[in-house]
Amino acid sequence: MLEVTDLVVRYGNATALDGVSLQVGEGEMVALVGPNGAGKSTLVNTLSGILRPVSGSIEVDGRLAQVPEGRQLFPDLSVADNLRLGAWRSRRRAGARDPRRIYEILPDLERMAKQPAGTLSGGQQQMVAVGRALMADPDILAVDELSLGLAPLVVADLVRHLRELNASRGTAVLLIEQNARLAFDLCERAYVLESGTITMSGSSAELSRSDAVARAYLGGLTDSEAS
Amino acid sequence: MTAEVGTVRTVRRRPDAQRAVGLGLGALVAVLTLLAPLVLDRSQLTVYILTGTAAMVTIGVSLLMGYAGQVSLGQAAYYAVGGYTAGLLAVHGTPPLLGLLAAPLVAGGLAGLVGIPILRLRGHYLAFATLAFQLILLAIVGQVDFLGGDIGLQGIPQLSLLGIQLMTAQAYAWVTWVGVAVVLLITRNIIASRPGRGLRALATSETAAESSGVPVTRYKIVVFALSAAFAGLAGGIYAFFIGYLAPGSFPVLLSFQFIVMAVVGGLGTLWGPVVGAVVITLIVQTLNDLGTRPGMPSYASGVFSYAVYAILLVVVLLFLPRGLLPAMADLVRRAFGRGRRAPAAAGTAVTVDDSTTRQPPDSP
Amino acid sequence: MSAFLSYLISGLAIGCTFALVASGFVAIHRVTRVVNFAQGTFPVVAGLTVSSMLGRGLPHGVAELIGIVLAGVIGLVVGVIAIGKRGTPTLASLVITLGLGILAYAFEIIVWGDQPVSYSMLRGAVDIGGARVAWQYFLVIGATLVTFAALGLFFTRTYLGKALSACASNPYAARLAGINPIRMGLLAFALGGLLGGLAGVLITPLQPVAFDSDVLLATSGFAAAIFGGLNSPYAALVGGLLLGVLEAFVAGYINASYQTEVAMVLIIVVMIYQASRRSTVSEEVS
Repeated sequence: MLEVTDLVVRYGNATALDGVSLQVGEGEMVALVGPNGAGKSTLVNTLSGILRPVSGSIEVDGRLAQVPEGRQLFPDLSVADNLRLGAWRSRRRAGARDPRRIYEILPDLERMAKQPAGTLSGGQQQMVAVGRALMADPDILAVDELSLGLAPLVVADLVRHLRELNASRGTAVLLIEQNARLAFDLCERAYVLESGTITMSGSSAELSRSDAVARAYLGGLTDSEAS
Repeated sequence: MTAEVGTVRTVRRRPDAQRAVGLGLGALVAVLTLLAPLVLDRSQLTVYILTGTAAMVTIGVSLLMGYAGQVSLGQAAYYAVGGYTAGLLAVHGTPPLLGLLAAPLVAGGLAGLVGIPILRLRGHYLAFATLAFQLILLAIVGQVDFLGGDIGLQGIPQLSLLGIQLMTAQAYAWVTWVGVAVVLLITRNIIASRPGRGLRALATSETAAESSGVPVTRYKIVVFALSAAFAGLAGGIYAFFIGYLAPGSFPVLLSFQFIVMAVVGGLGTLWGPVVGAVVITLIVQTLNDLGTRPGMPSYASGVFSYAVYAILLVVVLLFLPRGLLPAMADLVRRAFGRGRRAPAAAGTAVTVDDSTTRQPPDSP
Repeated sequence: MSAFLSYLISGLAIGCTFALVASGFVAIHRVTRVVNFAQGTFPVVAGLTVSSMLGRGLPHGVAELIGIVLAGVIGLVVGVIAIGKRGTPTLASLVITLGLGILAYAFEIIVWGDQPVSYSMLRGAVDIGGARVAWQYFLVIGATLVTFAALGLFFTRTYLGKALSACASNPYAARLAGINPIRMGLLAFALGGLLGGLAGVLITPLQPVAFDSDVLLATSGFAAAIFGGLNSPYAALVGGLLLGVLEAFVAGYINASYQTEVAMVLIIVVMIYQASRRSTVSEEVS
């Protein structure tokens, strides 16, 4: 579905990604965890074509849509218009711009359809951002920092929606997260990105048992010790 | 994003050899331009003087844009203020030299006053406000009787120094030379000073400059007043040389012309504005001669000069954003450096001193 | 009373043309963050074109349409040069538009000469409260109101208009959604050209236009546009009307030669007032 091979991205002389490789299979949910400044957002921006890699390749089988870090809505536009613009790339396909199909998946959005997106709460905005990405009918959804700045209950609700989406439509998810516990909980597999390179990868269960991961991302306790 | 055309660079801590070459070159230019009036004819001397006065104004514009990051689209207003100050005083019997000295003081003082409210504006707002100020000033001058109104101020006497009346264009050429030299010296000293470094920080980001202790508002007003004083001095010389002033002598286009010269020569360099003024005046003058030849339509010379300003401005901004002088300096250096490109930080005449500017704006 | 009415209506009409120029500034600035100093060129080119088209015997309607479309095409060309090259800083784009405005002088003088031109569209006048008011004023006001209504529908009801608003609202997110910001910027420049062109077509019968009329048209339009911080076309309409009426009253009751000063002073005061309510940081970020 998504195959990233030896990706190198630079900002001027600074190397942000240095030979990153990862795969996401069809209908799979995969996490990418790592600290601030590891290159997570650089990776998403390269996946969506905003940044150009120096070398390496990105192969996407199908459509990729991004839920960007910090939501990045159009604050002055209504929720419905935010959703409609998510279909810009496929705007000529019949019915592509109709936000009603998103209301079936995220019914809360219908209620706020006419409100300017900038007036919503953080959690509601994140839901709009997810909905807008879904308007592109993606086969794979790259979600950048789903939980950042949101209350745990709100995050749980969003996670439930992502799970449903994955189960009902087979949409693959690449979850880019600082919150490793959430990421391991939601995804079967995970990669650890540190200073621009993948330092570990494996099943979420394995990784959460690893001492190094636990020290760095899970507050010092491995999952088995915590539970 | 606020106010940046090209990059702010300046001459700092060059290696001794380069410094010597620079000084030698400067001295050579100084001597040649000092001797030039001896061999130029009357019409060439006029070009010489108008180039010099344009250079003086442009140095101020470049200081304002390149170092303080502020755009003035109304610099001809201060050129006019200088001219009218000198002219009016002289017409009413004040010794001409006193009038010439008053020109930069009045222009600078007025800019200082105007600057207090106007310099709170940034970017295109400031650009527009300075343009609006010029329009207001011209309209007022056109309606005030003792300034000659729209007809103009006539009968400005000749400049006299130490009791000797300057009657020849040659003498005015040397006065202009001195004026340019004074303006260059003042600018050089400012750039090299501690406040000069603060200014560069200001051009990059006002917030960052303020947080690192640069008195932003005061610096902006001082530089604005200084650039206006340069324009005022140039206007004073112009008034005595031409002997006649009218609002029509200072159109908005003249202000644009100073911007073109500053941008084309290279913002934030000492000699860039001089190069810009010389290059543009010479090209426009050549085309003017061509345009007034028999057989050419009557509008040819005007059309040529508009086209030259515009095309040079656009081409330089798009393809040589640092300006002609830095681009030429690079070429020369490459030719003499046996094809080897000098490392950007050490070898180039233009390096960024970022001790004050690199501070991230959000650092505590 | 009759003088008051005639000043008011002529002020509103002139203000409408300012508002049209202003909405061009707004359309371009919202999407590209560039203040287009060549904005005064569009009405001038359109006015000059219509005048010579009518002179060649083209009927009304066709001549005006050609003038407006030509202004739109020139808007597009200005946009290509000012923002077409990736990575051109905003203020460099601004100075480029200034240069293109000067370049336009050269072309205008070659094609049309340097004398002001005018033509008549709607002849005749109507008696209102004892004042004779030319029909042209009503045509200008009506055409402007229709244009603003259409503009509103375009920005809020059409997909393309929403994409333009999206670019203005969050350029990064617009790029993520696949909206090409440069292409949208060019569209905005073309729109700015059309709006400026319409202003020129409407104003030339009221005030003769020459190649260098652009400075006053652009400064008045800019003045109207800053009422809404260069971001709201409706605030620009209000600003334009206020400015037009103010100038008409100053010219009518005080002295016609003071109208520029009054307008410019007012603008500077408005800008300084706005600046005092804005922080430095928010401006540098935007």
